[in-house]
Amino acid sequence: MTTNVGRSVPRVDGYEKVTGAHVYGVDIQIAGMLHGAVVRSPHAHARIVSIDTAAAAQAPGVEVIVTGRDFPFLFGGACQDQPYLAIDRVRYIGEPVVAIAARTEAEAQEAVDLVTVEYEELPAVFDMMEALDENAPLVHPDMDTYVKGGHVIVPHTNINTLWTFQCGDVEAGFAEADHIFEHEFSAHAISPAALEPHVSVAKYDPVTGGYTLWLPTDRPFQMRGELTSSLGVTSDKVRIIVTGVGGSFGGKNTLISETISVALARHSGGRPVRVEFTREEDLVASTTRVPAVMRLKTGVTNDGMLTARTAEIVWDSGAYTANTPGVAIRGSSTIVGPYRVPNVSIESRQVYTNRAITGSYRGYGTTQVTWACESQMDIMAAELGIDPVSFRLRNAYEEGDPYINEQIMHGVGLHESLKRSAEEIGWGEVDRAPAPHLRRGKGIATMIKPTATPTSSNAVIKVEHDGRVTVLVAAPEIGAGQSTVLAQMAADSIGVPLDSIVIPGTDTAFTPFNGPVASSRTTYHVGNAIMLAGAEVREKILRAAGEIMELEPVSLDLMDGVIYHDGERITTVADMLGSFGFLDGYSITAEARYSPKGSPLLKAPGPYEWMSSIFWMFATHAVEVEVDIETGQVRVVKVAAAQDVGRAIHPLGCEQQIEGGVMMGISNGLFEQYKGSGGKIANSSFADYKLATMPDLPEIVPIIVESEHSEAPYGAKGVGEPGAAPTAAAIANALYDAVGIRLMDTPLTAESIREAIEALAEEQASEAGRSQ
Amino acid sequence: MLELEFTVNGSPRKIESEARLTLLEILRETFMLTGAKEACGVGECGNCMVLIDGVATPSCLVLAGDAGGTAIETIEGLASDGELDPVQRAFVDAGAFQCGFCTPGMVMTAKAFLRDNPDPEPEAVKQALSGVLCRCGTYSRIMRAIDQLTGRGI
Ligand code: FES
Ligand code: FES
Repeated sequence: MTTNVGRSVPRVDGYEKVTGAHVYGVDIQIAGMLHGAVVRSPHAHARIVSIDTAAAAQAPGVEVIVTGRDFPFLFGGACQDQPYLAIDRVRYIGEPVVAIAARTEAEAQEAVDLVTVEYEELPAVFDMMEALDENAPLVHPDMDTYVKGGHVIVPHTNINTLWTFQCGDVEAGFAEADHIFEHEFSAHAISPAALEPHVSVAKYDPVTGGYTLWLPTDRPFQMRGELTSSLGVTSDKVRIIVTGVGGSFGGKNTLISETISVALARHSGGRPVRVEFTREEDLVASTTRVPAVMRLKTGVTNDGMLTARTAEIVWDSGAYTANTPGVAIRGSSTIVGPYRVPNVSIESRQVYTNRAITGSYRGYGTTQVTWACESQMDIMAAELGIDPVSFRLRNAYEEGDPYINEQIMHGVGLHESLKRSAEEIGWGEVDRAPAPHLRRGKGIATMIKPTATPTSSNAVIKVEHDGRVTVLVAAPEIGAGQSTVLAQMAADSIGVPLDSIVIPGTDTAFTPFNGPVASSRTTYHVGNAIMLAGAEVREKILRAAGEIMELEPVSLDLMDGVIYHDGERITTVADMLGSFGFLDGYSITAEARYSPKGSPLLKAPGPYEWMSSIFWMFATHAVEVEVDIETGQVRVVKVAAAQDVGRAIHPLGCEQQIEGGVMMGISNGLFEQYKGSGGKIANSSFADYKLATMPDLPEIVPIIVESEHSEAPYGAKGVGEPGAAPTAAAIANALYDAVGIRLMDTPLTAESIREAIEALAEEQASEAGRSQ
Repeated sequence: MLELEFTVNGSPRKIESEARLTLLEILRETFMLTGAKEACGVGECGNCMVLIDGVATPSCLVLAGDAGGTAIETIEGLASDGELDPVQRAFVDAGAFQCGFCTPGMVMTAKAFLRDNPDPEPEAVKQALSGVLCRCGTYSRIMRAIDQLTGRGI
């Protein structure tokens, strides 16, 4: 019975969010707390000659000063290459060198200026292509000595992740093609820019040697793992209590402010230490989207069938690896797009440079490759004289098609997403020139995204004496509505009212393990775990009712917290359990683990079965833009955004994700851009790093596409990431439709658009001249 | 140290404050009214908006001394006895928040604007809220919330 699933019930976090009561990481205040600040490197690559902290130690309010030598640990989710505080060497501008804790934030900041660090500069490399050069300075000469995961490195170079893929026979595929297209695209660095900056409070217990941290994250167990493995301590020595999360978008999933608060807390004699990044620190010294340069070579037949693709991709991880190998591999593996291409060869190299660290960002590598893939699709469609929508439909995956690793695709709402978004935007009709200086055009782009597979989730459900139901899951609410959707599924799988469900926050000391709240995996994976535990709790409630009332459990039913016998209401869960009184008590519990491992849906012959995804996400954006041909300014007029969500558990929540994704895609594609040179970021505030604001809002029509998925909880797949991925390419394709220009690099700034319009006009003029 | 008197959500308050503190710091750290948020600290995000004598103002830009003698309204003062203000109610109904970090600033700015402009044009709403950043991109839903309040929607 689904009484809650499928309905846009009021969000469970609504009241506390609109009243300002929701407690975020920045709101945590603990008595006796000290405040941390950081001395950062002004050099992109240098040896630390000496550090003098004597004057800072004398400054008012200063209690603790820590350097890399005092806390010499290396950390990193994929590769332990990063020091908590620089040890002997700095590798990017903004790298933490000395941490200071004082009684107030202002005192800590003032003491930062009193530290003197002497550096000896080293040759640096800032460009990812130059980093590949065999004579390039090495960012990590000792790369092969680090503790790391399974990704392939190339020691004595800057290549920290090498990944290749082959299927079919690309030479034969190109031989079959009537046309071969080669293009190079680039995608830029983007700040996740969650409005809640990076923040953490850490407390060290000198008696037990354990750390407790309060922080906003979407990845509590993985963060605990990064801390325990880098510090060499057992799991009980790091406890993470997750606060409210003021946005993550991939940014709050690795240690950022935490390295500073932990290092300071270890030396503060047990006093808690709070570290909150300023917006400047957040923009220049946290993580960004991984920039990429992508070379695509694609073969197509005259009738628009794709025959082969080779892709060479270079990714820039910045000075440290963080979690970029996953981003690079995930992104590279989807550069074929959601299309049947029988012959594929991919080479992906990710390099270190002396730039700020990069990492995961909403879409995990797919926003970059979607830009390249979908721009080239449009270029090819134009050259072939085929309508861009119909070109995509000819090649787009359908249910039962083999993926590039030969997994059989299941739950594929791609065609519907293409058709419905095109229909909604009014494909093929444009009012070209609404004013002399304005031109309009329409464009479309689509995308595919797998979810991290296999990953697992656990749920513990406990029914209390008064009928309240506690659901323990490590699934922090990061804004996407996780807590509401999980509560809906819990209520329906047990048969209790939605408002009886309580999902306490995540505390790694008590909450069972979960993979990250990332990869759009939460609804599906945690939902499946909740459904399994919920079914068991339901059965136990009915069994208990049978015993207590001396009735056959098969004659009992449970709906909305009420127990029925042969259709007659006999009691409620609360009355039944409450009757046991104060000391006798009765709680009903169940626990379950869900992992897709072993699912027949993941089967794929050959060596690439690990690329199978338990579900696939598809999203299409069809846009109408208006460009001012004098200034190059673009206004997005309308976006029809169709996304295959499996089944919408909370339709309004799905629409929020789709609309929010569109807004983020517009912001990323048109406005956001880091400036500066020599590894120095020149724009370190929201005045210079421009995000989309309310006046940039176009008409957005969210379209929920539902496809069948046999193993999804109530049919639901994921929805969070795809929403921001196709927007930039759709806008670029609409610009081509409007004014005939083709941009190969993001962002699509007014300046680059104006220049392209001028260049095209010159080209046309000179061609006209030649032909006379 | 400055001696300051003002009213916060209708209650008279008297405190001693260091002159360099901002109103945002006083609200968050002295009064523990943590609804107003700091996302930039320099007047560029609007997440710290409170109403000073009815005018939506970034509280990170107001020095404590300048707040003396004023009437301050924060998000915490909007609901009374658990009953949401219509603006808050509309935000919940329209789904006008995701992570909610910008929501207090957004709600307070909308509140002040709608008091003065009960029946605004959409473009005027967009301009009025243009100083509050929302990274979750809930702008479309916020517009719906305002439409519901002004009778244009549903
Ligand atoms: S914190 Fe005040 S405007 Fe950003
Ligand atoms: S709801 Fe997250 S920033 Fe606005």
